[in-house]
Amino acid sequence: MLKKLITPWTVWLAFLGLLLLDGLIAGLFVFWKGLGITNLTDLVPWGLWITIDLSSIALGAGAFSLCAGVYLFGLKRYQPIARTATFVGLIGYTMATLALILDIGKPERFWHSLVYWNPHSLLWEVTMCVVLYLTVLVFETMPIFANLEWLRKRFPRITSMMKRVHDYAPFLAIVGLGLSSLHQSSLGATYGVIKARPFWFKPEMSVLFMLSAIIGGISLTLFASMLAARLTSKAKINDALIERVAQFVGYLLLGYFYFRVWDALAVTYAYDPGRSEGLRLITKGSLAFNFWVMEMLLGMLVPLILLLYKPTRMNRFWRMIALFLVAAGVVAFRWDTNITGFLVVMPYIPGQAIAYTSYKPSWIEIMTGAAIVAYGLTVFSLGVKYLRVVDHTLIESEHEKVNVEATKHVVA
Amino acid sequence: MNHKRSDPTDKNINRRAFLKLTAFGIAVAAGTRAVTATKASSEAPKGKHQWAMVIDQSKCVGCGYCTLACQAHNDVNPEIQWNKVLKDRLVGEKQVFLPRPCMHCEKAPCVEVCPVEASYYRDDGIVMMDYDLCIGCRYCQVACPYEARSFNWEKFEGENRAVPEWGYPEVERRPRGVPEKCSFCYQTIDRGLAQGLKPGVDQAATPACVNVCPTGARIFGDLNDPESNVSKALQDNPSYRLRENLGTKPRVYYLPATAKKEA
Repeated sequence: MLKKLITPWTVWLAFLGLLLLDGLIAGLFVFWKGLGITNLTDLVPWGLWITIDLSSIALGAGAFSLCAGVYLFGLKRYQPIARTATFVGLIGYTMATLALILDIGKPERFWHSLVYWNPHSLLWEVTMCVVLYLTVLVFETMPIFANLEWLRKRFPRITSMMKRVHDYAPFLAIVGLGLSSLHQSSLGATYGVIKARPFWFKPEMSVLFMLSAIIGGISLTLFASMLAARLTSKAKINDALIERVAQFVGYLLLGYFYFRVWDALAVTYAYDPGRSEGLRLITKGSLAFNFWVMEMLLGMLVPLILLLYKPTRMNRFWRMIALFLVAAGVVAFRWDTNITGFLVVMPYIPGQAIAYTSYKPSWIEIMTGAAIVAYGLTVFSLGVKYLRVVDHTLIESEHEKVNVEATKHVVA
Repeated sequence: MNHKRSDPTDKNINRRAFLKLTAFGIAVAAGTRAVTATKASSEAPKGKHQWAMVIDQSKCVGCGYCTLACQAHNDVNPEIQWNKVLKDRLVGEKQVFLPRPCMHCEKAPCVEVCPVEASYYRDDGIVMMDYDLCIGCRYCQVACPYEARSFNWEKFEGENRAVPEWGYPEVERRPRGVPEKCSFCYQTIDRGLAQGLKPGVDQAATPACVNVCPTGARIFGDLNDPESNVSKALQDNPSYRLRENLGTKPRVYYLPATAKKEA
């Protein structure tokens, strides 16, 4: 009896459940005690949670980019991957919402951002877009939720309605593309417009955020699909499809690599106090490991080689590693960018030297952060098991109506 | 060949250059208009009064009375200082101080970035906080070039030790979870104006830090009034503002302490 209960699946769920419970308690503690129990300060008001928020939005970007590719640019055969991506996107955006609720000082007033508008604020735009896009994602994932066995048996009419939402996928893709282009880049601009901190104050911030989000988002979706297929027979993938998209990611990554390196070095073109100091911090200071190893080497160079060199790309293991590294590199980029701007403390008294501060997340921040990630993993795991989230064979039955030309197999 | 092409006597090129110049001129004019239009919409509205503060660094002795008076009148948590007295450089052998309230910028980054308009301009130039609207996202803190904002990480409970020695609270305590900052003692200004008093001249209408300063290093008044103390001080003395290169146009001016003044 006990042996039957202890399967890898239940152990995995129990592990996630522990993290969730742990984080739930920590989260309630935050609401009760306030942000004083975090290691955030007036000098570093945004820390780990903001990084989780930025990263989960970035890694959810596979949804809009793949949907645009499939429904707008006619790459219909990749539809099953886009389907997984919308689910990953939904998870990512809800994770971001959770992180934000923790992070704001007055969580009970979260709705103010929807009612009291300041169109001058980048954060206003981001909030609006995220809320609207989350709505789009709910519609986009409706056909997926219609796969729930229990719901289908109990309310067949509702599930058939939910499935029919898919007929509007191209329209949803247009709206999603617009909204995502806006807020993915505006998240970069959120930092890019801050004159007070010269390390951030540059127009390319938006482009970097947008590009890295597309690359990281697609990578995470592919990685998650491959990992799921490795671990359970519930997930069925068409490896040739994934391989082609992975190659595309490789080329995109090449462009992004060039741009990111150029950006890091070009920061010093015009000496503006604070810029070189920021560069020194990430190249030689406390963030050097994160920058050189996590972002540059593992986040870009290694996956570049693995994804563009055919033998390693064709090898499922190496391809998976590469895709994971790309996603992790995007997280490292978000962390570096956010934290560097704060650690360099700009003087406002004329002639005074630049100072430095430090930040290490507290246990409460880490526990709640881990729970947010665990929430994402839980939903994805359940999705794979019960909603056929990763199922590249599903196309025919589901989309007969719209005559999607997706049944053709790709010759790799 | 190349010489000839750029020769201004060549009629053909001239006409093209003329057309290009015209197009360029129109573009610049349109661009400038667009830029000024944007600026106008994001700058503080100009009302009858434009309050400003002038701080004479040659007079400031760094006693910190201003901070204490501020703590009392605005009921500020002892861990937070709306008005910080900081060490500036040495002039000769004398330590120069720089008191730093909120700059009440004419183009305030905090107002620009606040997603819910909790930070806003009054038409007299004061940058205000609506503590009931604020969601506590701290983007204003991120954007402020002067570290003028402090977040309420904890609730301020218990007694205010600056009271009653340095004054009595005139405003409500801020809740946990919102940032707060100097307001030029707007409550005093408004009450004073209602009584027909003149802020900067009559103590009952003047910010607490200005009143308490034992050396008279702080001057407060209306920039719109050419006869006001601040207008005169700025006319007669060289002054500077903090991080002027950012274009935030602070309403707090400093008169630098110079070796000459000391002598």
